[in-house]
This record gives sequence, structure tokens and C-alpha cells, in this order.
Amino acid sequence: MNEPSFFVGYAASLPADTKSFLLKVAAGWVFLMGALALTLSVATDDPGDGHFAGDAVLTGLVTNAPYPVLFLPPDAGHPLGHAVLLAGDGKTGAQSQSLSLEGKRAKASGYMLKRGELDMLVLGAVSAEPAAEPSASFNPAPLGRWRVTGEICDGKCYTGGMRPGTGLAHKACANLCIAGGAPPVFVSAAPVEGSIFLLMAGPDGGPAPQGIADLAGLPVQVEGDIERRGDLLVLKADWARAKEE
Amino acid sequence: MSVTYLAIGWNRNKIFYDCVIAAAALLYVSLFIRFVPRAGDGPMIDEPIIRMRAYGSCAFLMLSAILCIGPLARLDARWLPLLYNRRHFGVLTCGVALLHAYHVLGWYFAYSPTDPFVALLSSNQSFARVAGFPFEWLGLFALAMLLVLAATSHDFWLSFLTPPLWKAIHMGVYAAYVAVIGHIALGSMLAARNGALAMIATLSVCAVVPLHLLAARKSLSGGLFRATAQRQGWIAIGDPQSFIEDRGTVIEIPGGERAAVFRHTGKLSAMANACAHQNGPLGEGRVYNGCVTCPWHGFEYRLEDGCAPAPFTEKLATYALRLENGVVWLDTAARPPGTRIEPLELPGDAA
Repeated sequence: MNEPSFFVGYAASLPADTKSFLLKVAAGWVFLMGALALTLSVATDDPGDGHFAGDAVLTGLVTNAPYPVLFLPPDAGHPLGHAVLLAGDGKTGAQSQSLSLEGKRAKASGYMLKRGELDMLVLGAVSAEPAAEPSASFNPAPLGRWRVTGEICDGKCYTGGMRPGTGLAHKACANLCIAGGAPPVFVSAAPVEGSIFLLMAGPDGGPAPQGIADLAGLPVQVEGDIERRGDLLVLKADWARAKEE
Repeated sequence: MSVTYLAIGWNRNKIFYDCVIAAAALLYVSLFIRFVPRAGDGPMIDEPIIRMRAYGSCAFLMLSAILCIGPLARLDARWLPLLYNRRHFGVLTCGVALLHAYHVLGWYFAYSPTDPFVALLSSNQSFARVAGFPFEWLGLFALAMLLVLAATSHDFWLSFLTPPLWKAIHMGVYAAYVAVIGHIALGSMLAARNGALAMIATLSVCAVVPLHLLAARKSLSGGLFRATAQRQGWIAIGDPQSFIEDRGTVIEIPGGERAAVFRHTGKLSAMANACAHQNGPLGEGRVYNGCVTCPWHGFEYRLEDGCAPAPFTEKLATYALRLENGVVWLDTAARPPGTRIEPLELPGDAA
């Protein structure tokens, strides 16, 4: 049997056959790492079209239940009016700025996050505006009881605050956002009345319980009442009874 | 070998080795970041997430390679030079893993009123779930283990902790690897829509596990010589001509100990098979410059007394040999480390 030369760790030079072999190993390792980097990099999953949509100044009606929303008056593109979710900077909600404006017409500025038809304004400043014209009415319109399957996300990351802003790797971040007051959004696997985004609420219409953190990022099924407010769907459910799919 | 923890120094081979592993890591991270698909005028996903994925997957692949080097070196001696510098590979891997953690903390757990470290440990409490399990804890455990291993990788710690304890601590790399596999599986593979990472992780496990099994089988059976006869504390270990010049033969002694018998200039000598440095298999080494040289890290021992040549101080137990009716016999009673025993001269074979 043709034995390779014996290499000693502290020796300054390598036997010729060992050197030749190791040069091939070194080249192979560098090549392999390059190939694996390309394989994993190009296989990155598409996180969806959530994105930053620039600065905006909006005027509308502020409501805070279950989470802060600015309802914009109807226009040609939104005959029912348009609901813009509100959030604070970082992983926080907008409650500290919006609670005092409940039911009032307000002018809000900040930057927009947008995913499909779901819009979020990350508040910079907000102030009450004189009601120069009657505010549009956003009384809830019940759509009945539904059983829906989907994922619990935080509305801020989902709309483009992070890309990707969904899934298991993002679960802890979603929990932090929701605990900080950002509006949680239920992303339905199938459209409900034309929309896959539903603002989550407790069964009484208040904020969803903190317990939803356990299910964030997972495919879950839940049953609840859905109502329409402007072009926004709100899912009022007993989240303690939601189950992992 | 060393008389202090400073004796094993740098040389051109080690520098080249380090350059190769650093270049491969740099190439990996650069290509990963550069070739993430783009959407509009930027990459499809956030830059910090690209970086945490690049560094995390790079560290995983490096850890996989580190774990393969050991068994590869047992199976084929040409891999041994990679084993000697494996600590450098490990320290670099720890550094890459730290960069992964840095980007995770600075993105997923930042921008919150909660301290990032508190958020890391508290924001996901779904310990009872498989999907949704706080996989960050597994990553944190693996990182902590890699940090301990990197911090104790210097020969000072080998000397200070003693080889058995140091070796036991460094076996923790296997726990780190298992934790990393769990970290990847629960944090990424379960939710990924493509199977690239799952495929690479599977390939890693399919390389690491079988290689260790093959190496273990070789260690247990390959080259191991068992006594053909036993009498009054002596065991027959075979024909003198069966011992190869300047090579070792591992002898299994009843009771579990192992001795290594070497033939050099036509004489036979026997000493303990476990190197005093890290219990390396001396019997797989060779006689080099008149000394038995450990295949793991090059520690050397004199044939006649199992002592490392001055100024080094390591000593091994020695065994007496005798020739009777054309059969070599070994006394199973080990002599105290460093005991001189005249090598057994084989008839008609003196140098």
C-alpha cells in the first residue's frame, strides 16, 4: 500500500504529496463555499410587496378601538373611505398620540408603509383639525360569523417595516411589536369579502389579548365576527380558542 | 509538543491555512449579500436580514467542516494538517457567528422600549410548541458554547485545565452543532418556501454523522491487535516480522488499556497508546527523527523510556517486551511513566 508521507504539525514544510492534496482541498473548499453562497442567496423567498411609501400628511377621523386608525374620507379610489392603520416609531403603537384625539378630525404626518391595499402611517406628528366639513361616518357594518385560517402578524412589519415581516424567524419581532402597541393583523389564507387583511380585535371589540403572541407567525384557524369599517375589515374573536393549523 | 503553552508557533503553513479559511468565509458572505434577488431599486429583503442570513449560514457551514476534519484525519492521514490548525478555524467560526448574532440583536430586537437582550430572552415564550419554539435560545446556547471553546482554545488553557478536562469541554462542540441544527430547523426550515437551506443542512448532517461512525469503527477495529495467547501477565502479540519499520501497532491489553509497539532500527519498544497531550493515538503515529511522533499534534517520545526529549517533560508508561520461540510477548503490567526499558532486539535484524 502506498502510504502518504507523515506530516508533523509544527514542521515548516509539507511533504510533496500532502501539499498537493491539501492545495486541492483548499481550492475545493473555497469553490464549495462560493457555490453554496450562491445557492442559498438566490433561493431567498419573496417576502411580498410591503415597502416604505414615502412621507405623507393625511387628514381624517381618528379612532382607537381596537387599535389607532385614521379614516380618510371617500374618494374616487376608495368609495367607502380609506382606513390607514397608525403606529409609532420603532416597535410601538400610536396610542400615546392618538388616544386624546378619539372621534376627532385630525391632521397626521409621518411616513407610509404599504402592502397591497393595506396602508400604515408611522406617526411623526398629529393634531386636531377644525371640522370644516362633516366627517365621514365609519359605523361598523356586520359581515357575520366566519372561520378563517391565516397568520397573525404585526401590522407594521407586515406592511413593509421589515422584509420579510412574517414567518417563524420573525415571530419574536412580531411579538415585540404587538406588545408595544402596533396593530396586529390577521392575514387570511383566502380572501374575506375581497380582502386578506383583517385588523384583529378581542371579542368585545377592544385590543386583542397579549396571549396571541403564542400563535404569532404560525398558521392558525380562528372563528369570529367580522365587520367592515370603511374599507377595513375587523375580526373580533376569542383568540384563546384559536388553534394552530 | 510543548514545555510551555507558547512552544507551538506560527509557520507558513498555518498562515496559509488561516488565509484560506478567511478567504472562503469572505467569499461566501460577499457572494451571498451580492446575489440576493432584487426588487425595484434594492434587494428583495432588508440588508440587516441579508447579513444575518449570510453570517449565520456561513458559520453553520464552517462548523460542519470543522466537525468533518477530525474523522477525515482518522480515516486518511492526508487530512491531518487540517486537524492541527482546527482551533483557528473554530475561532473564526465563532467570530462569524457573533456577527450573525450582532445583526439579529440590532434588527429583530432593536427599536423597542425593551432592552435587546431582555427582548431576545423574553419576547417568545412558546416553549411548548415545536413550530414557534423560541429557536433563538438554541442559537444563543450554541454561540455561548462556541465562545467558551474559542476563549479556551489557546494552549495556555490546555495546560491550565489539563488535557482531559480541556478535551471534555471541547467535546461541547457537538452540543453546539446539535443546537445549531435545531436553531436552523425551527427558525428557518419549517417556514421556508424553498428547500435550499434544508438540503444543505441535510447534507451537513449526512457528512458529519457517517464520517464519525466510520472513524469510530476504524478506531475500534482498524489496526488493533488482540493477544493470541496469555500467560502469567504476559500476552503474545505476534511474529516479529509483522511489525513494520518506524510504524506503530496498537495492542489491546486485557482490561481495556492499549499499548503501542514500535519497530525502529530492528528493535521493538512499547509504550502507552494515549499521548500525554490530548490522548491522541500514538500507535497511529510514526517514528520520526528517532522519536515516536503523535499523529495529532506532533508530540514526541523517546522509544526507550517514553519521555519527551529535553526540554520537554511529558512522560508515558512503558511496557516490557520479550521474544520467545519466535513470538513477541508483552508484559501487561505498565511501568511507571518514563521508566527506561531496553528495546527488544530482533534476531538477525539489527541496524
